[in-house]
Amino acid sequence: MKPAVHWTLIAGLGLVLGVGSALWTVRHGGFSGKISYGYWLGNANTGSAAADPYTRSVVAAIGLLALNRSEAIYFTRFKDDAGAPLNENCSYEMRGGKLPTRWWSITAYAADNYLPVNGQNALSVDATRVVADANGGWVARLSSARGTDANWIATKGAGHYSLTLRLYNPEPLALEHADQVSLPTVVRLSCESAP
Amino acid sequence: MKALKTIAAVLAVAAVTHIATVLLLPHALMQLVISGVKYKTGTPANEWIHSPRVTEASRAIVRPAPDLAYSMCSYDLAQGPVHVTAAAWDDYMSVSVYSHNSDNIFVVDDRQSPGGADFVIVRGDDPAPADAKTVVRSPSRTGVVIQRRLAPTQARWEAANVARQRDICAAIH
Repeated sequence: MKPAVHWTLIAGLGLVLGVGSALWTVRHGGFSGKISYGYWLGNANTGSAAADPYTRSVVAAIGLLALNRSEAIYFTRFKDDAGAPLNENCSYEMRGGKLPTRWWSITAYAADNYLPVNGQNALSVDATRVVADANGGWVARLSSARGTDANWIATKGAGHYSLTLRLYNPEPLALEHADQVSLPTVVRLSCESAP
Repeated sequence: MKALKTIAAVLAVAAVTHIATVLLLPHALMQLVISGVKYKTGTPANEWIHSPRVTEASRAIVRPAPDLAYSMCSYDLAQGPVHVTAAAWDDYMSVSVYSHNSDNIFVVDDRQSPGGADFVIVRGDDPAPADAKTVVRSPSRTGVVIQRRLAPTQARWEAANVARQRDICAAIH
């Protein structure tokens, strides 16, 4: 083999391996500051200038232009409470209560990290609009079709989706002892077909 | 022996490429946002772009919050500092600055500044205007300013859209 061809092959293979392994690592996590509460996943270094290069790349890929932790805390989950991936063909009951923050919202995102396209205009539940009981407890339905629940996120067209919980102006408890905060639960009720 | 050298060379190229990809990815994604918005809106740097209400069709930025009214200004400090203002809002509002590597280098919200945001972005250690109320030092020449106003309903979004119309993002000459 001629030297030029030999070195071109080495460079090409190295480039594919290098870019591929970097994108795989970014896509599959393995970065510092990762925190989890049940199936809610967060990162203490989101938006921070102190973030390591891997964390910065992960956040840029899935949450570009996120605020730093002092201003907002983000949690994302891809699974229900039984550990099964969230699926548009299934209905879920999400239960939550008061959260130690000025304002919160929960939004469903399709696998492409954008809002699901379904024409139903039920993209999120948030602290200003959620229908809650006297103690602040609330129940929301995650499903393709609207049921009788007062709080609903439409997941039609979302495929295997994720939920993002945003806490804006978090209180000290959320900032310093997030593990003591009761985050909403997500329980699967039924599926139209095998999930 | 030659095979070992070949494998070592491939791994060396892969290692360098891996690190470069991880380091450059945030810059590439930021540039995609800056260029994409500029291409779609025709708006140059140092000017607020007030986005329409977030819907399921929104594709400018990944994982947008449908309860917020967003505005964006891509800043370019080539001609000097950039002055940024955002009018007061009667609910949650923040204005945040991101350097070109996507770090959130500054944020001010309505609790910290109830009268609205007013600051100047300068490059590194460059001198700041004497009358600047707050100075934000950007490690990069370019970056992005994002304004968020809590506006979960159509009526609130329309009110936010009125409130932000006189906001400033402009180079200081």
